[in-house]
Amino acid sequence: MTQHHDPIRPFGGFGLGLRKTHYDDFLAGPGEAGVPVDFAEVISENYMVEGGRQLRVLEQVRERFPVILHGVSMSIGSAGGLDTDHLEKLKRLERRIDPLWVSDHLCWTRTSAHNSHDLLPMPLTEAALSAVCANIDQAQDHLGRAMLFENPSSYLTFPEDDLSEWEFMAEMTRRTGCYLLLDVNNIYVSARNHGFAAEDYLAGLPLERIRQIHLAGHDPATPERDIIIDTHDRKVADGVWDLYAKAIAMLPHPVATMIERDEHIPPIAELLAELDRARGIADEALVPA
Amino acid sequence: MSEAADLKARQEAFLRAILDEGAPLPEDWTNRQAAGLAVYRGNYRSALVGALESTFERTARYVGESAFKQASAHHAITHPPAGWTIDEVGIGFDATCAQLFAKNPEVADLAWLEWTMLQVATGPDVEPFGPGAFAEATGGFGDEDWMELRLEFQARSSARIVETNLTILWKALEEASDLDRPDPRLAEPQGCLVWREGERPTFQLLAPDAVTAFTAMQDGAAYGEIVTTFAGSDPEPEQVQDAAMRAGALLGEWLKEGLVVGLKT
Repeated sequence: MTQHHDPIRPFGGFGLGLRKTHYDDFLAGPGEAGVPVDFAEVISENYMVEGGRQLRVLEQVRERFPVILHGVSMSIGSAGGLDTDHLEKLKRLERRIDPLWVSDHLCWTRTSAHNSHDLLPMPLTEAALSAVCANIDQAQDHLGRAMLFENPSSYLTFPEDDLSEWEFMAEMTRRTGCYLLLDVNNIYVSARNHGFAAEDYLAGLPLERIRQIHLAGHDPATPERDIIIDTHDRKVADGVWDLYAKAIAMLPHPVATMIERDEHIPPIAELLAELDRARGIADEALVPA
Repeated sequence: MSEAADLKARQEAFLRAILDEGAPLPEDWTNRQAAGLAVYRGNYRSALVGALESTFERTARYVGESAFKQASAHHAITHPPAGWTIDEVGIGFDATCAQLFAKNPEVADLAWLEWTMLQVATGPDVEPFGPGAFAEATGGFGDEDWMELRLEFQARSSARIVETNLTILWKALEEASDLDRPDPRLAEPQGCLVWREGERPTFQLLAPDAVTAFTAMQDGAAYGEIVTTFAGSDPEPEQVQDAAMRAGALLGEWLKEGLVVGLKT
């Protein structure tokens, strides 16, 4: 196992993504009911700015909660290498916020000419693994800390694939010393789209490297579209809750769990109710049989 | 071709296929992969259109949902983004609006204002150079020093000539309602200056020559050049006096509003 950076210690809390519509909830003053979470996660790129209110709000939230920086644009799978401007601005934000950890996705988003602003799928090949690992080494060295990478949801696989996604991720963590952010909804979506067993995915991962779990909603398949789409615009589906229960029972240590909602964002009470459900499932998993 | 170069070529082809629905798919792909690619194509377009909707809320409200969706889809296709922040898809959207809504210049003016307000909102936090500090710094200035005075303005502050009463239009579009929407066209073009007061982006309509002076000084012109421009060619002493008064008044406004953050040496 490559381990150039300080290990990331397990953190067993429950949190939410910080979204503009909930700023006031997170910044409740003394005497007001605060948001009962153990951490807040933010989309890094939204705060990789020079100044202004948004950045000040994040600093105020950081005074109240541990914060996780979760990126969507690192493009760790780009064969053309990382965008050094992105990396430098991320480092600046990381220094400013002192987050619990920094994460991004196992995907690519851009070429040298264009950016898709979507999490595009990696071919699961040795060549892709080498490119990903070289980029992770560069990112972790630049930030001076180990990172977490999230399994994406995907809508196609490539004919040239010669690894499963879990084998790819296991080898990626072994070669780079990075950690994993397990998106249970993404496993559910990809398992359904590509016809593998979600349980095989879980069993094939290096569970001791998982530090965080994401839970989110998806758009089910329809008669016209036999593909499930990861949408983050609705409640977590029952099948995803079941998979979460299985995952949490398998993990050798506590992890941070959060609900992700990016569209149709409801009042915070609705998200907190989902977070309570996660707490209940985790509590049950910890009760000895 | 090396494995790394092959991966790069495949990623370029994949992204081309997302951007261009007519691009050929790899020969070894099946219907399953084509269906998956259709999802990525849909995600790409909806993400860009969504980003434009969120940046240009008022413009969308003004032109209506259907027209805005067409304009934003056109812009996303003709201006595929390259940078890491999705906000960049808004670059040049005012020009797209000027082209698509040629008979309604207020649409491009409004889009420019929304874009500029967003840029100003996330600019660096710099303390303004207030009237007191300015007076202290220029206390010993002689005539030549004044003529050579150059100012550093708040980063990302911006100005342009507009044909629209953006003050009225901005307020009218604050709410989703489209009732009582005033005719926003100005009888004569005016200037519009955008800057930040503390953390709050703001703007003001002003005389066109104020925009000319601001833009010139932002681009590095000296205070003396502004006075000369205002005075016109071959001026009478009275005209020079008036020009100096006019430039002085503008300088006072800029200092009062916190637009000046330093003197350039």
